[in-house]
This record gives sequence, C-alpha cells and structure tokens, in this order.
Amino acid sequence: MTWWTRLRQFAGEHRSIAVLGGWVLVGALLPVLVLVPPFSTFQEQSLWLGGFANAGVFILLALGLNIVVGLAGLLDLGYAAFFAIGSYAYAFGASSFTGQHIPFWPMLIIGALAAATFGILLGAPTLRLRGDYLAIVTLGFGEIVPAIFLNADSLTRGTNGIGGVAQPELLGLKFDFSNPVPFYVTMVAILAIVMLFIYRLQASRLGRAWMAIREDELAAASSGINTVTTKLLAFALGASTAGLAGVFNASKLGIVTPDQFGFAVSFTVLAMVVLGGMGNVWGVAVGAFVLYEIQSVLLKQLNQFFHGLHVPVLENIDFVQYQFLLYGLALVGMMLLRPEGLFPSRRRQQELHAASEEIADVPPPTSAVAGE
Amino acid sequence: MRLTRVGAFAVIALVAFSACSSTPQGGGGNTIKIGTELPMSGAETANGEPTANGVKLAIKQSNAKKEITGYTLDINVQDDAVNGAHDPQQGATNMHTLVADTSVAGVVGPFNSSVAQSEIPISNAGGLLQCSPANTNTGLTYPPDALQYRPNNPTKINYIRLAAPDSIQGPAGADYVFNDLKAKTVYILDDTETFGVGVGDSFAAQFKKDGGTITKRDSAPKSTTDYTPLFTAAAAAKPDAVYLAGTTPTGMGLALKQARTVAGFETIPFMGPDGVADLGPGGTTGATITVAGAAAHDVHGTVAGIHDLPSGSTFVADYTAEFGKAPGAYSAIAYACAQVIIAGIKSAVAAGKTDPAALREAVRANSVAAGNKFDTVIGPVSFDKNGDITTPYMSFYKTDLTANGGKGGWVYVKQQAFTDPNAS
Amino acid sequence: MRTDRTRALRTVAIVAGLLVVSFVILGVQQFQNFLTLGAIYALVALGYTMVYGIIELINFAHGDVFMVGAFVSMWIMTVPLGLADRPINDPIQLTVVLLAVVIGTMVVMGLIGVIIERFAYRPLRHAPRLAPLITAIGVSFILQNIIQAIFSSSPIAVPQIFPRVKLDLLGGSIGVLNIFMVLVALLLMVALQLFVGRTRLGRAMRATAQDREAAELMGVDINQTIAITFFIAAALAGSAGVIQGLYFGSIQFNLGFFAGLFAFTAAVLGGIGNTTGAAVGGFIIAFIAVLAAQLGYSRWSEVAIFTVLILVLVFRPSGLLGQALGERA
Repeated sequence: MTWWTRLRQFAGEHRSIAVLGGWVLVGALLPVLVLVPPFSTFQEQSLWLGGFANAGVFILLALGLNIVVGLAGLLDLGYAAFFAIGSYAYAFGASSFTGQHIPFWPMLIIGALAAATFGILLGAPTLRLRGDYLAIVTLGFGEIVPAIFLNADSLTRGTNGIGGVAQPELLGLKFDFSNPVPFYVTMVAILAIVMLFIYRLQASRLGRAWMAIREDELAAASSGINTVTTKLLAFALGASTAGLAGVFNASKLGIVTPDQFGFAVSFTVLAMVVLGGMGNVWGVAVGAFVLYEIQSVLLKQLNQFFHGLHVPVLENIDFVQYQFLLYGLALVGMMLLRPEGLFPSRRRQQELHAASEEIADVPPPTSAVAGE
Repeated sequence: MRLTRVGAFAVIALVAFSACSSTPQGGGGNTIKIGTELPMSGAETANGEPTANGVKLAIKQSNAKKEITGYTLDINVQDDAVNGAHDPQQGATNMHTLVADTSVAGVVGPFNSSVAQSEIPISNAGGLLQCSPANTNTGLTYPPDALQYRPNNPTKINYIRLAAPDSIQGPAGADYVFNDLKAKTVYILDDTETFGVGVGDSFAAQFKKDGGTITKRDSAPKSTTDYTPLFTAAAAAKPDAVYLAGTTPTGMGLALKQARTVAGFETIPFMGPDGVADLGPGGTTGATITVAGAAAHDVHGTVAGIHDLPSGSTFVADYTAEFGKAPGAYSAIAYACAQVIIAGIKSAVAAGKTDPAALREAVRANSVAAGNKFDTVIGPVSFDKNGDITTPYMSFYKTDLTANGGKGGWVYVKQQAFTDPNAS
Repeated sequence: MRTDRTRALRTVAIVAGLLVVSFVILGVQQFQNFLTLGAIYALVALGYTMVYGIIELINFAHGDVFMVGAFVSMWIMTVPLGLADRPINDPIQLTVVLLAVVIGTMVVMGLIGVIIERFAYRPLRHAPRLAPLITAIGVSFILQNIIQAIFSSSPIAVPQIFPRVKLDLLGGSIGVLNIFMVLVALLLMVALQLFVGRTRLGRAMRATAQDREAAELMGVDINQTIAITFFIAAALAGSAGVIQGLYFGSIQFNLGFFAGLFAFTAAVLGGIGNTTGAAVGGFIIAFIAVLAAQLGYSRWSEVAIFTVLILVLVFRPSGLLGQALGERA
C-alpha cells in the first residue's frame, strides 16, 4: 500500500485529527509557500495572507452551500442573502452607526443564528417544492434581501452602507487594517472547526438522511425519514455557515453595503461547489480556494503575461473582465463532461455516472467512505 | 492520472509566468511611484481612463523637468471595476496592494465615493495619502462621519480631495436651475446610490430654499430598464425641469432617453451632476450623449471643479498631443492631485526622508499642513482641516448636439467659486 | 367539457377584469406603458412555459435569449439594413423594414435556441435534475458575457425607426407604436395557440409534454419535437426583444436577468405549462410593476414581484389557470 492510501485510511478512521491536523498544516505551510518563486513574484506575503483570509470567506460560503446543494441535494441560488444577513447583523451589533459594541467572538454565534433563523423562515414554507421551483424561490429570496437592505435606508443607511464596523479584539490584541496575520489565523481556525463539524454531521444519522433524500426522496420518506425537518436542518446549517462568513467579512472590510451581496456572489459560490465536487467537503474547500486565487491573482497575471509577450489577439483580452464568461463555460463543461466535479466524492461519481450508464453494481457503502 | 498531469502543467505554466511577468512590488532604488486607484474597465472606462491619463501626463512632465533630484517617477495603475462596475471590495484589495508597494508615495483616487469608504481605513493604517479628483460624498471628510474611516490613526488626515463635495454641487445645481434656467418646479430622479441620493438631497434642500417646489422625487436602481412609467406618473404635475441625481453608468442616460418620449418631458431642460455631465462627446462609449442620442438636447450639468485653467496653460494641448484625444472631465483635476503629491515628494527628498514610511508621512503631512498652497494646473489650491479644497469651484456645461461635426458635445457655460463651509 | 368551459370563462373574466381595472387605476398614459411591458413579459413567459411543459426544465438562460434577441434586432437594423436613428415615415417602407427585422430576429434567435438545446441540454436529458439547471445558469452567463465582449457593457442605442405618432383618443394621446406592438404580440400569441392546437407538430408537442414515453411509442420524434419547442420559445423571446429595442430605444447586456425572472414569475403565476396562463401572467406582472411606479414605490417593485412568486409557489403552485396538481409541485 502506498503512503497515500495509508494516509487516507488513517484519515477515514480518525476524522477529527485528520481535519484539525490538515488545517494546522495548511495554515502553517501557506505563508511559507508564498515566499517561494513563482508565487513571491506575483505579490508579497502580506497581500497573499490578506487574500487568503478573503479566500477563506468564500471557502466558508462554499462549505455551507455544499451542505445544501451537495449533501442534501437542494439547489439554492440565493445563498448570498444569508451572507448579507450575517454581515448586517454584525454591522448592527458592532459599529458607530448603532453605537453598539458587541465583541466579535459572540457576534460570530449571533450572526450564524440570525442567518439560520432566516434559513428556517425561508425553508419552512418552500422546502416541499420541487427542485427547480425551489431554485427559483431561493433566487427570489436572494434578490429580496439585499433589496430590502438597500431600500430601508432609515434602518440600514441604504446605499451608503454601514461604515465604521468594528474589528475583532482578542486578549488585548486589536485586529487592524495594517496586519492581515490575525485575520488569517482566525479564518484558518474557523475553517477547521466548521469543517470538523460538517464531517461529524455527515457521518451522523442526519448526514445519512441527507444522502438518502438526495438519492431518492420518495424512498427516504417511505423508510421513515422526516424529509421536511431534514431538509430544513440542511438549509439552516448552510445558512448559519454563510452567517459566519458574513460576520468575518464585515469585520475585515470595515463596511457593509447592499451591493456586496448580488447574484454574482451566489453564482460564484455555486460555481465553486460544482467545480470542486458537490458533496466532497475537502474537494469543495480546495475548489473554492483555487477558484478564488485564479480570480484574484492568476487572471491578473495572465493579463500581464500576455501583455508582455505581445501575442496579437490575446494581448487585448482583459481576462479579469471576462471571468464570469470563464465560470459559465466551466460550469457548462463540467456538467457535460464531469458533473461530479474535480474532486468527486466516490459516491457522487457513482450516482452521476450510474444514472447515465446504467451500471448495476454499486459497492455497498462502509462507514469509512460514507460521504467521502 | 489525469489530474497529476494537469497539476504538472500548472506548475510549469506558473514558472513560465513568473519569468515573464513584472515584479509589482518595490521598485528599483531610484523610482518613486504614484498610484492610481480608478475604475478602468467596462462601463466605467469613460470615467477612469482619462483621469488616470491626467496622472500619467503629470508624471511624464515632471520627469522631463527632473523635478525630483536623483529619482524618477513612475505610476502604479489599479482598477477597481469588477464586471464593468466599480466595486468597493476590489478597491479595498487594490489599496492593500498599493500600501504594500513600498515605492508608492501617494495615491490618486478613487473615483467613486462608495469605494473610498472601504479604502480610507486601509490607506489610513498604511499612512498613505489619497487624493481623490472626483469623490463628492460629504461623509468622507466632514466630521463626525469621517472619523469612522480612520480607526487606526484618527488624528492623521490622509484623505484629501479636489472635487467640490455634494454639499456644494447639489445647491449649485439648484441655484442654476432656479435662476438661470428659470424653472420653478422640478422633478427629481435618483439612482439609489451613495452619490445620487446625496446630491439629490442637497439639491432639493437648496431648491426649496430658493423658493422652488419639488413636484415629485423617485428612486430607481441601476437595474431599472424601464423608466417610462415613472415619468408618465411624474408628468401629471407638469414640472418645469428634471434633476437627474445620479450617473449615466447607473442609468441616468437611459432615463433621459426614455423620458423624452413621454408627453410633458419632450422639451423641458434636464440638469445633472458630474455623473451626467461627463463631458464625453457623442460617440464615446458610455457617454451620456451617446447613450441618450437625440434625447440629449437641452441637458445641463455641473462638474465639481474649475473650468478655466490659468491663462497660458498648455494642459489641453499637451494632453491631446500625448493621448490623441481631448481631456476628460477630471483629467486636469487628477493632474493637479499628482502635482500635490509630487510637491510632497520633492520636499521629502530634499529633507533626506527617502525611506518609504518617512516619505509617505512627509507627503501626507505636507499636503494637509494648514496654509500650504500648491501651484497646480487648475490654479492655486490648498486644503482645509478636513482635507477638502478651500476654494471649491463648480463649472456649468450644457449639451450642443451640433458640436463635434454633428456627433454632439458639451459646451462650457460658466464657472462659479464657492466658499468652503468648513474653512477655519 | 364543463371544466374546460369554466376554465375558459375564468380566463376571460381575469383578462377583462385586469384590463378594466388597470385602465381605471393607471389612466390612459400609464395604461400604454402597461400594455407594452405586458406584451414583452407575455412573449417571454410563453417561452418559459413551453420549455417547462415539454422537458420540465426552467430554462434559466431564457431571459438572456430575450436580451440577445434585442441585440440581434439592433444589429439587423444597423448593419445589413444600415438604418439611421430617424423615423421612417413612408408606411410601405416602414412595414417592409419591420417585417424584415422581426422575421430576421425570430429566425436567428430560433436557431440559437435550437443550438443551445442541442449542445447544453440534450446531453443532460437523463441526468439528475440539478445538472441541466446548473448548465442553464452557465449558459446565461456565457450569453451575457459574449454580448458584453462584442458590444460593450454600456447601454447601446437602437435606431428609433418607428415614427412617434400619437392619436388623441379616450382622453389622452395614444402612441401608434404602442398599438402596433400590442397587436404584434397578440398576433404571435394567437398564432402560437393555433399552431399548438391545430397542427400535427403542435399535437406532437402537447403529446410529448403530457407523456414522453407514450408519445415516443406513438411515433413522435422526441428530439425533433423538443428542438421545435425551443425554436418557437426562442423566436418569441426574440420578438419581445425587437419590441424592447423599438420602444425603449436602448438595450444593455444585463437586460435579461430581471426581465427573465419577472417573465418566469408571470409563467408561474399563470400556471406553468399553460400558454394562456403565461400570457395572462405577463400582463399581471406588468401591471404590478407599472402600478408600483405610478404610486412612487418603484424601488420596491422587484421585492413585490418576487414576493408574488414565492406566495404563488407556496400557496397555489398550479397558478391561476392551471389545474390543481395531484402530486405536490
């Protein structure tokens, strides 16, 4: 057995250690990796770390959406609404606008709960709808929430947004705009804890119930699973993760405006989940990270690269401007060629290819590979 | 496996990129840079590009005169437009990039007030001066609002601007509509954005003070494609004029075009702030005259800056010679911002303060020092204790569709000097 | 038979009631805006409902098909026909030009619709529901960005070739352009009803929508039928695009997003799968939008329409004119 297979087996059996250890490793390695060429030539370390903290926001969002789309099989096209709710909750709780100064750490929980509440409010009447209808309803919700924040200007300062949002403070250390390291470390910690939680969920009865609903809702209902509660929990947990991301992002940027939460955000997160491999937790995290870095660093470098080479047609293309075109092409391509994503969960791969190839034998799931 | 092959290809590509791409951070030992943070792509190109060009011209001419002994000036251009529209989050990222680039001594930008809100805390923490040629939102400089943007160094003003704030542009427009256009009743349409709502509010307040009436006020976000129902409803009150409180990239050009098809709005004058009076000739992509076409007649606008460059100024000729087209509404003002920064660099270098932190602080302190006057392409300027220009000017323009060989353009009407409400 | 009759009566009642109420509340001027907007939403909603009826897919990209139609019509007017931004006063010349633009746009868009179906949706016909939905979103962004790349992100002017003649009727001035557009929309909708109801291909479409396997067994060429459905849906959206360009005079790459969502709401409101319902729904949604503007609440019109969508889907998923479905939607 290769060291890789042995490692995977270990990780399967000792999930918690694997997740925590993995994140500690990643968190420690990344700052070192960016000091090495070619990465050191793109931008300097503090910019990389700040970018990683921002990428972390998207990874969190992708992990949350993955619960809804990948684990429970519900297409949510308005996910940014929960991101908005978390951000505004923090802005109300800790800014010069309201005069409140609730510390960041409890606000993380409060923001997550606020978003989860709205997740339940939205989900309760709508989760019994069929997949495509649910998608459109969530899209509508995704548009209504920022619109309300925009138009209710007496409460939310409308388009100006709420500025002066407080930065976190830990044991006397005040996070500020000049140093990205505390934000980076905090994000790594949040990601580790959230991912641990998600893996635990996946392995639990709830996780198996999600899988059952995703594969065949009618059969799942017949075998005694309360589909409504199960789906509602997926929605609420997904929403709370977005709420967490919202609180963090608000504190890092220092300002919350309604135009931060448009459909483009929901679409980007969806692309990350789809490309990363719906259902595979690490796959989605890696996919989100890669996509974010491509968007924020690589596309700019591509521009410079082709400019420098003076290649006739490519020289005039601004890759950054057309990133959504690339996302669209990638989504279509993935769905046609590799719907299970770049880092598929084996289960998913079987589900998707079995459907089109009519493979009869599917190996029985063991607890080690459940939802891998 | 396929993925490892893809991975190998990616690594090789990255190495190739690193060989060919330029190093953005730090410069050679003898380069000092001025950063620009403007929306440069998509629908905002007409705003950002001419403004950045103003800075480029200033740098070029300063280098030619060898103004800074021992150093060459260079530019670091950043674009805050995402998907064609200015984006505060991208602005924040860009500002981090500029702060991290130790050869940058000062920044010209941003163009949009909402982007400034996310950038000032970052430049404040980095001790980097920002000079905006176009921001007009009063909350960016007027206390107590402005304080929330300086959490790291509340007493160090690092944000200055040369554009007259909304508290002046709105009322200037109101007085012009009441006195010059002789309109007693006005319908206001704003685009729900920071700038539009702010300038609409100050316009309405002044217009009422002058003795006029606002017949109706509507807000339509930039996603609106159909303004006709709004104008149809507003036509009932028969306004004498319309104030478009917003910018063409956020829909005002489209609103103008559709409004002229509604009975009651076909001939009355329209007025707008500098987001509408972009001074772009007909045919330029995204310019108001291009978007509104034949409807862009009888449109007036204000620009938050001076028009008459001091006599003997060769700016327009120099700009046209360098870039092949006429300057934009903010080119000269951006040039002036660059001049303020260069003046700071010059005195810092002369005093031997050449390490990045000292240089930045010297540039900042020099710009906001009370009583410092700067000789710029738009005349002498100085800044009050909040970073606002002490001699705000408003220039008035109107459209002439026969100009530019029939393509249409803006012609200058007059300019007016105002007093800085916060002058000490 | 009796249920058919009650449904027909119900339809007529809703339509008549809507027209009277909107005329009274909005007044003559605003009424025209309402009719034009309604025509556009109705035509686009028809496309949504037809595609959903036949393959149970919400074609997320349909709103952008409408947008592309507007651009295609603008291109036809400015490039091959070389028209300037001036009204054409000669009625015969105007008619010929309009025919060329409308038919040209409809044919081009129809073909584009068929191509999209063939390459993006057909391979996924047996895949889990999620897959074609995601692909549709991808196609939507691809269309928007291609248009941006070719034409720019700013609003583009459309030549205003229709003379702005107004007639003084019913207490106000009524634009001939408005009358023309509503007539065109009505004509197309009637033509569609006749096609679906009376022709063999139309029958094949209805059969496929009702029970695909049975239709296949009866000898219907499923692939061809679906392709024709997409052709018609896209062509109708294209005609809506022509109206949009001619009436509003300006088009932009992001036109399709909200228009598409509103039209989809209209289709759902009327009863998804029901073509008459889609048309009626289009006018109801237009009424809400115009009323909001009239009352000064235009900022809230999006919220209002999405709320309608959610309420309909939650409380009456079959829509106004649909039959109550056995299995929960």
